[in-house]
Amino acid sequence: MESWEEEGSVSGSGLGAGTDVELVRQAWRNEKAAPEILPFEEALVRRLREQIQLQEERAEELKSEGMEDVVVSLHHMDSDRALFLLKSYLRLRLHKIEKHLFFYSSHTHLFARLSPEEQLFCNSCVDIMTQHLKQSVLNKLPQHYQSVTRQSTSSEDDDMVDSPQLDTFVFCKTKTDVGAFQLDDTGEEIVDLVVDDLYVLRYKSIRGLVESGQINLI
Amino acid sequence: MAGQSDPSLSIFSAPEVEFLAEDEMIEIVPNIRMDALNLLCGDFGPFLPQIACKVPLWLAVALKKRGKCSIRTPDWMSVEKLTQVLEAERESPREFQPLPFHYVEISRLLLDHAHDDIPEVYMVRSLIEDIRNVRFHKVESGLETISGRTHAVKLKNLSAMEVNIVRPFMVRVLQAFYKHDSPEMVQQVDTSANKRPQVVDRGPRPAFGKIWYIATAHRTP
Amino acid sequence: MYARRAAQLLQELSTCDEGQLPPYNSDKFDQVIRECEEHSKQFQSLIREKNEKNLDIEAKNEDHYGSFIHHLSLIRNKRCLMAYVYKRAEVIQSYRWKVGRVLPKEIHDKLNFSEQEYFKNHCAVIDSYTKDLDLDLTVDVIPPKDPYIRVRVLSEIGEVSLGDHSVSLSKDSLHSLRRTDAEPVISQGLMEEFME
Repeated sequence: MESWEEEGSVSGSGLGAGTDVELVRQAWRNEKAAPEILPFEEALVRRLREQIQLQEERAEELKSEGMEDVVVSLHHMDSDRALFLLKSYLRLRLHKIEKHLFFYSSHTHLFARLSPEEQLFCNSCVDIMTQHLKQSVLNKLPQHYQSVTRQSTSSEDDDMVDSPQLDTFVFCKTKTDVGAFQLDDTGEEIVDLVVDDLYVLRYKSIRGLVESGQINLI
Repeated sequence: MAGQSDPSLSIFSAPEVEFLAEDEMIEIVPNIRMDALNLLCGDFGPFLPQIACKVPLWLAVALKKRGKCSIRTPDWMSVEKLTQVLEAERESPREFQPLPFHYVEISRLLLDHAHDDIPEVYMVRSLIEDIRNVRFHKVESGLETISGRTHAVKLKNLSAMEVNIVRPFMVRVLQAFYKHDSPEMVQQVDTSANKRPQVVDRGPRPAFGKIWYIATAHRTP
Repeated sequence: MYARRAAQLLQELSTCDEGQLPPYNSDKFDQVIRECEEHSKQFQSLIREKNEKNLDIEAKNEDHYGSFIHHLSLIRNKRCLMAYVYKRAEVIQSYRWKVGRVLPKEIHDKLNFSEQEYFKNHCAVIDSYTKDLDLDLTVDVIPPKDPYIRVRVLSEIGEVSLGDHSVSLSKDSLHSLRRTDAEPVISQGLMEEFME
C-alpha cells in the first residue's frame, strides 16, 4: 500500500531532523508515554533555552529595525512554540516525579536521572508530604505503625511505596528497521520491528531501545 | 486498584494533538516576496510570488490568514482520493486505510482557514467526516481474537487522534489480560457484532496473532 | 471494626468528580483512628495472654492468630487512611497548576488545617524550583495560538486606530487583527471571528 508519510521522517513532521526543537518534541513524547522517569536531557534543554532567548532578541531587533509585522510575528510564534514544548517537557517531569515521590527519592539510579533542580524539588516534596502524613495520620497511630514507607516495623521492605508500572503498554514506532527483537526473557516472544509501523508493546521490553534512541514513543 | 497504571499523564489534550499536527509540512504559494526565515524549527523560504514552497502547517495558516499566500491542498485531500479511501474503509471492516498520521487535524485546519483553496470543499468536508466515522466505529467496536498471552499489537495505519482515543483503553485492557493471562478471560469479553468464533491462540509465537483494534469498553449486556 | 469505616472514607473520595474533593471527614477519620487504638489494645492483650502461657515465642496458638488478625486490621486501616490523605494531597497538588496560588473559599473550606498548610508548602516548593530554573512553568500551559485572528465586521464601526495604523471597519468587511485588539470588540457583538 502507498504510504502517505512525508519522505525522510518517521512522523511526517516538518521539523528539521536534528533541530533542538524536534529533539525536545520527541523527548516530551517519550516522557509522556514512559511509565518511569527518563534521563534528563540536560544539554538539550540548555541549548534550546539559549536559542529561544536569542530568537526572542532577534525578533525585537527586527521590530525596532522596522521589519514588517508579519515577519516579526512569525519569529514570535516560532519561539512561543519552542517555549511551550520546553515547558511541557519540564512540567511533565515534575508531575511524574510527584507521582512516585518516595520511590524516586529512595532509588539512587532513578534519582540520578533527575536534574539538580528536580532533585531539590523531589526532596522538598518528600519532606512536605512526610510532614503532612505524619501530622494527619501517622503520629496518631500506635507505635510500630508510624512509618511512612512501611506498613509496620515488621515489614521487610517499603511495602507502602508504589513503583512505576513498567509493564504498561506503550505506543511506539522505530526509527530504523530493528528486525527480530526479543520481547521477553525466555526468548519465546520475538517480533519483527519494522520502521514506521505503529506498535503497542510492553514498556519493559523496549526500555533498552528507548534509552539508545532507536525507538520513539508516541 | 493498587498498581494500576494511571493513563492520565500519558494522554495528549486535543489542543496538544493539534499543536503537534501543526508541524506537518504543507505546500504554499506565496503572493508576496519575503526573505528566508531562519527559525528554531527550521529554515524556510526565501518566498517569491507564485513560486510554491513547503512550510510547516502553523506557518502556512499564519501566512494565509494575513493574506500572504494560498495553500496547496495535499493530494490525499482530493475528492478522488478521499472517495477511494472511504470505499476501501467501508469494504474492509478489519483494516484501516493509510492516511497521514494527522489527517484529522490537518484537514480541520485547512477547512477552517483555507476554505477557498480547496477544490469541491463541501464534498471534501463531508468525505472526511464519513471517513472519520467509519474509522471511529471500527476502533470502537472490534474486539478481535485476542490471545490471553498477546504480548504485542501492531496497529497498522491508525492516526494520531485515533491513537489518543484508543490509548487509555489499550493500556488498561492489555494490562488486565496480561495480568490474568488466561483463555477464560478471552471468552468473557465479546462483541455482539463479531459473530466469528473466538480463537484462542495457543500456537507457537510470532507474537502478533492478528491486527486488532480497540478493546471495547462496553461489555455486552 | 475491621476496616469497614475506612473503606467508606475512600468510597466518599472515589464518588467525587475527577479533580475535586469532598470536605475532609474528620469525624470518620477519628473513628478509624480509635479503631486502630482498639486493635492495638487487643493485640497487646492477646500477646500478653500468650506469654502467660509460657509457650515458645514462635508457637502459633489461638492468641497468636487472634493477634495477627488485629495486626492485619490495623494495617488495612493504616493503608486506607494513608490512601485517603495521599489521594487528597494529589488533588491539592493539582490546584496550584489548575487554580493558582490562592484557593477560592469553596475549595479552601473543604481542606483540613494540615492540608491547607500542605498546599502552601507545595506552592513554596514550586516557587523555589521556578527560581532555581528561572523559568515559570505555571504559565504557557496550553499550546500557543497565532496572535492574529481573522474577523468579520458585523455592524458598521468605521475608522479605528490600532497602534501605528488605522483600519476601516465597515460592515461585512474582513480583517486580520491582533487577538488582543479584536477581543473587546468581539465581546461587544460588533465583530466575530471568521472561520470558513
